[in-house]
Amino acid sequence: MEEVTNKTGQNLGIAALITAIITFVLAVIPCVGLIAIIPGIIAIVLASVGLSQAARNDAPRGVLIAGLIIAIIASLISISQVFVAGKIAQKADKWPNEIQNIINDVQDNVIRELEDANISIKVESDGETVEINTSTNKKDRENKLEDLEEDNTKKDDTIQMEK
Amino acid sequence: MIQYKWKSSPFKSLQESISTDPYLIINIFFAGVILLILAYSGFFSPEKNDYPIICMHEKLTGEPCVSCGLSHSFSLIVRGRIDEAYQWNIYGMRVFLFFVLQLILRAMFSIFYLRYTDTRQQLIITDCIGSGLVFLIAFWPFIANIISGIFTASP
Repeated sequence: MEEVTNKTGQNLGIAALITAIITFVLAVIPCVGLIAIIPGIIAIVLASVGLSQAARNDAPRGVLIAGLIIAIIASLISISQVFVAGKIAQKADKWPNEIQNIINDVQDNVIRELEDANISIKVESDGETVEINTSTNKKDRENKLEDLEEDNTKKDDTIQMEK
Repeated sequence: MIQYKWKSSPFKSLQESISTDPYLIINIFFAGVILLILAYSGFFSPEKNDYPIICMHEKLTGEPCVSCGLSHSFSLIVRGRIDEAYQWNIYGMRVFLFFVLQLILRAMFSIFYLRYTDTRQQLIITDCIGSGLVFLIAFWPFIANIISGIFTASP
């Protein structure tokens, strides 16, 4: 006499196992690992529904449990991919800000130093040394700028006639 | 009254076991998926570079990942341009070989499953362990990348 086995939830188990294995392969590949969470959830749902049906009818649950375990592991791998990508993206967002801050600091320092600049130029050629020292502060430069502006306005006042 | 009992033909019993046995259904399905992957690699041209799969990792982080260029690599392997395939993705060949080996294994294990009915349980266990090991070998660079990513990304 042939043994009749109850096959309730069997088809769901097969579907869950196939989806779970495909999810597992996808989850490991970083390019598509992030979206593997979707088939992972589908596989978990299929396996869970199949398990509940099999439990009600006292049917074999081997394939369903295998599908559920693989789906859970695959989903965890996919979540870890999301976590890793998120962390890298966060770091990538931080880097431009940090670089911007460094540039701003350098700019501030340069401007502060130039406000009261002491410039020393030393030229050496054939044993002869020429040294030019100039010291200037913000007020001197402002005065010089005013003088230059006055000169420019005087020059502008003159009208040159062309013959 | 004489009753005639028709013996089921071997083809019919094969058809019945293929349509009812979970192991055979799974094998046929995976063989189909692998054939689809091979068809995908053959269909999309590396010159046109019109692959529909985009790297989500690169989109999110702005950095290329360890599996970038895998589709390109597969297409080149299918066309026999192995050197170029290595340049696109260094792990392309081992992943491609995994899929080809799995296609052969699905066919082989299905034949053994139908032929040797007494050792089906052992066959399934051998298949699970063997395929798992081959998977680990083929995808190890990606798995190692995930593990190192988790440890370096964790605060």
